[in-house]
Amino acid sequence: MAVMEATQGVTPERPVQRWDWLRLVARDKKALVGMIVLAILTLAAIFAPILTPYDPNAQDFAMIGAPSWAHPLGTDDLGRDLLSRLIHGGRISLFVGTSTVLMALLVGIVLGVSAGYYGGWLDTIIMRYIDLQWAFPNFIIAVYLVAVFGTGLSNVIIAISLAFIDDFARIARGMVLTIKEEQYIAAARTLGASDNRIMWRHILPNATAPIIVQATVSVSYAILAEAGLSFLGLGVQSSTPTWGLILADSRSFISRAWWLGVFPGLFIMVTVLSINFLGDALRDLFDVRETKDLGAH
Amino acid sequence: MSGFIFKRTLWAVVVMWAVATLVFFMLRIVPGDPIAAMLFDVGDPEAADELRRKFGLDQPVYIQYAKWFGRLLVGDLGNSIYGSRIAVSRVIQEALPRTLSLTALSFLIALVIAVPAGLISALKRHSALDHVVTIIAFLGLSMPDFWIAILLIITFAAGLHWLPAIGYVPLSEGLWPWFSHLILPSIAIGTPFAAIMARMIRSSMLEVLRTEYMQVARSKGLFKLRLVMVHAFPNALIPVVTVMGIALALLLAGTIVVENVFAIKGLGRVLIQGILDRDYPMVQGAILVVSFIFVFANLLVDVLYTVIDPRIRYD
Amino acid sequence: MSRISKALTGEEKARIDAELRQAYDFDPKDPLFGLTQRQLGGPELNRRSVLRLMAAAGTLTAWHLMPGSGIKAAQAASGGHLKAGWAGVGEFRTLDPARINQVLLFQIASNVLSGLTHINPQLVAQGDLAADWSVSADGKDWTFNLREGVTFHNGDPFTADDVVFTYNRSKDPNNSIHSRVLSNVTDVVKVNDHTVKILLGAPQASFLTKTLERASGRAMTIVSRGGLEQLGESQYGLTPVGTGPFRVASHTLGQSIVLERFENYYDPERPKLDKITITPIIDAEPLAAAIEAGDIQIIGGNPVAPELIDRFEANPDLIVNIVAGPGFQSVWMNPWREPFRVADFNKPVEELMKEKGFKVRLAIAKAIDRDRYIERAQFGRAVPAYGTINPAMGFYFDEGLGEISNQKYDLEEARRLLAEAGYPNGEGFPTLKILNTPSARREVQVIQDILKRNLNINIELDTKDFPVLIDEFDRMDWDLTRIGSGGDYDPDDGLVDWMQTSSKFNGRNRDKDKMSFGIFSDAEVDRLIDEQRLQTDPQKRKEMVQKVNKITSDKVACAFIYHPIDAQIRHKSVNFPAESRIPGLMDLDRTTIS
Repeated sequence: MAVMEATQGVTPERPVQRWDWLRLVARDKKALVGMIVLAILTLAAIFAPILTPYDPNAQDFAMIGAPSWAHPLGTDDLGRDLLSRLIHGGRISLFVGTSTVLMALLVGIVLGVSAGYYGGWLDTIIMRYIDLQWAFPNFIIAVYLVAVFGTGLSNVIIAISLAFIDDFARIARGMVLTIKEEQYIAAARTLGASDNRIMWRHILPNATAPIIVQATVSVSYAILAEAGLSFLGLGVQSSTPTWGLILADSRSFISRAWWLGVFPGLFIMVTVLSINFLGDALRDLFDVRETKDLGAH
Repeated sequence: MSGFIFKRTLWAVVVMWAVATLVFFMLRIVPGDPIAAMLFDVGDPEAADELRRKFGLDQPVYIQYAKWFGRLLVGDLGNSIYGSRIAVSRVIQEALPRTLSLTALSFLIALVIAVPAGLISALKRHSALDHVVTIIAFLGLSMPDFWIAILLIITFAAGLHWLPAIGYVPLSEGLWPWFSHLILPSIAIGTPFAAIMARMIRSSMLEVLRTEYMQVARSKGLFKLRLVMVHAFPNALIPVVTVMGIALALLLAGTIVVENVFAIKGLGRVLIQGILDRDYPMVQGAILVVSFIFVFANLLVDVLYTVIDPRIRYD
Repeated sequence: MSRISKALTGEEKARIDAELRQAYDFDPKDPLFGLTQRQLGGPELNRRSVLRLMAAAGTLTAWHLMPGSGIKAAQAASGGHLKAGWAGVGEFRTLDPARINQVLLFQIASNVLSGLTHINPQLVAQGDLAADWSVSADGKDWTFNLREGVTFHNGDPFTADDVVFTYNRSKDPNNSIHSRVLSNVTDVVKVNDHTVKILLGAPQASFLTKTLERASGRAMTIVSRGGLEQLGESQYGLTPVGTGPFRVASHTLGQSIVLERFENYYDPERPKLDKITITPIIDAEPLAAAIEAGDIQIIGGNPVAPELIDRFEANPDLIVNIVAGPGFQSVWMNPWREPFRVADFNKPVEELMKEKGFKVRLAIAKAIDRDRYIERAQFGRAVPAYGTINPAMGFYFDEGLGEISNQKYDLEEARRLLAEAGYPNGEGFPTLKILNTPSARREVQVIQDILKRNLNINIELDTKDFPVLIDEFDRMDWDLTRIGSGGDYDPDDGLVDWMQTSSKFNGRNRDKDKMSFGIFSDAEVDRLIDEQRLQTDPQKRKEMVQKVNKITSDKVACAFIYHPIDAQIRHKSVNFPAESRIPGLMDLDRTTIS
């Protein structure tokens, strides 16, 4: 929609530089906290099998046990240790969050850059579709796609990836349109560089800033989307714990076991929060105007 | 300008049609036969075939599409496959006011929280208060809305028994009953949105305060509060208006999950229930109405924006 | 069993035996089933006669003869507003008797609409809309004298025209899913405004119950033509107009239905309540919260989630009444898939025991520790199952089957069998998938865990929504499935529906070229089931039923897991008299609130 394009203006002061991450952390303490927490979570996710005190699926313990020394976060209604489940759940949530955004990013960028660079009917076709998708909240699109394709981990990833393409396509296209007119592009063209080379070697590297910012924001929303889908019963179906699923399963026991409802949500919140801190600091750093961080949910 | 409005409206119609068609065809590839489920206990394949014929589910897809589209144009959204085969439009008619009540209330609550928060944050930039508000805003938009809903239920409904845990009561039965059933879900939906709005207002205010116009006004010694409220604030709101379309989208997306938690039969619940039941007509109808709301809202916002800020040009 | 219901005393058993014997004591060729015309006529059919008819119809079960729950008769005080919550359902899709396919819906409709007769828990058939009736000597012509002065909720008078109208509507399969029930009726004729004749093709013992009775008689539950015309079919399904003790004041789909006392009900003593609000509450937690907070005072609808029962029992304000439930749940193993492939069940058990596929089946069935399963999955609220015959069938249920069945839990034996089949300690056992519905996810994870720890085999959950699951189940496109049934009060319900080669659940959409049967097939079982249906001597029938049940158990038609329970939960202020405690129903016309 035309209105959104007007507010979509993204003009970074300069391209991403090597020591930016240091500057990032120095400027904003929240970003530092965010990065540390994320690092912990990622490590925990990767090393989960070694780290967790118990097997997440072992139904060995007392059912609905309150938090205790043996089980710091309590046990669930089937006698499984909640902490172990949440750590393992983190693997899926983080995996889904990052892989979906990666895929959305790749597809979105290809679409956006092609549309912006070539213009004409290609631009019209692609952007008309992107606008169409952009009009709807990503979550609703994801819900609908899962309903069509079916549930299960791979379908959820496909659904969320497809739903998040619009954000990246728009940014990529916007960037291309702006940069396209820059002098160094004209120079490259006179020097005989091919279209492809111009697009991918010259334009794109200068457009990374807003894309990175959008990527971090999208990861947080992708995690929330997966949690929401699992919560509705449309997500991962097996007994593999994901945070949304654990939260959904807790509903029947909420009044007896508050820890089952509080902790999974807490994990989600902390993860998303850290990502948001990071993303916010990145945005400040690159001085990117408001990207569409609102509509992803 | 009227040319612009006309073009935009035309585009809106095309979008609606595209969405409707996409929805129709995609639903046909969904696995699972609703007729079989309906008659599971009856165990009679002939009865199943008959029902299938009755619903026209045995005809080729393009014929089904043509028929369906024809009826759509007259406002007939079809009938549910189950039970009393109630008209989809009827179900949606009843669901819509609930979702709209919820959305409106959520929006109101969000505003009530976000406006003061954003304002204060901007005016007292970098103070301790600003930091606190910012952190809280971050927390708000990091919490999944269904989690907020669950926490609210644990505290206020199951714990303190102050408010009902589920259900909906129409306004006609009294203001408090209506309100008491909606307040918890509205808080759940409104909170993330309030967080986003607060930050938007904050940054938008900062922008405005920074402009030359404001510097000049300040240098002229105009009284500060008046300055803020009369000059800065309305300008700061302009970009906020532009996100109203998104606001509706966000809030509606939020209602999908929260309606399920609180068992309120609004549009979101109708949609999810329809998906789980493979009730094709119901899902189609719900998605269409939802799409219509978005498209219409966006159209409205676009038009509104040109009215508010004629500086913007379009091609 | 001790947590479920009290065992029957010797006296009670003797009474049940005597009644059953008497019920079956007639010549099957007698068109009046050993009763006289007078005995079969109205205005009331006594208990003996009803039992006889039910026996003749094959619908008599020990369930009907079980002692009542000892609830005191209703206090006289009337009035009040009862708030009820219906468990496990999100909306009441239709209350049109012609379309109802769920018991929970009929629980509501039964308060709003009436039939010609009504059978109370003492099994006395009383006239409801019929004041009196008589039958011809050949048992085929029934004449009903309709009660006068009865009106519908909309003011229309009830006459014979309405009976004819209901008949014509119900026998049309386009209008009604219960048209089959009327297949033996050749015509319904109006004699005058208050007399109607129903003509049968052949004498039918179940006629009064299946066709005319308010509870199970959906086919002839009297509907209002005026109401249908005025409201239209769809709306009528939401707010039906009938002649029952309550009328529908309002109903919004997905929200509550409000019933109000019908002032012109023909019995001035009923109903007692002024108003009933029934709210569908699909989730367990809100349901519990609602009854504890007093938002609702009684729970009906689908069975209550077992995790809530402890909580309700601990609550001094609530009365929890539990009886054995009619149904079973099993884990089925596809006999056409490795590693539990069995090509032919028509061999003696000893022969089958030599086959690899059968060993695996048996190993799995024997490895399921039912007690642990019930404790963890059902919070102790269930009965271990070894066959389709469930405790609600009372007399036919074999309590000792668990000890003698081939499927009895025996961990060492199970492991040995698995090793013999070529998978010592689960090594090399393929990872299989078990089909289940979302509501059963929790239970199936317990099974998954049990099989893992006991046999070291991995089963993955394959959770699909019901329409998809049924589709795959019927096509035999699955490794394992967890499925069963409920509402089975007669031995036929379980056996005929599942265990015969021609059973409706037996892979009816399978590729018949590749698979000669679906889930199970045994010629002796087929034969025995057919025979027991015709067996009128209850003792002999019991022997046959128990024999065939044991065969299905020994031959591992499936791994039977448990029988669910049936719990009624209400607030102590609600007086739900014994007269109203009809199996599966929630008739509130005699209920009061103190």
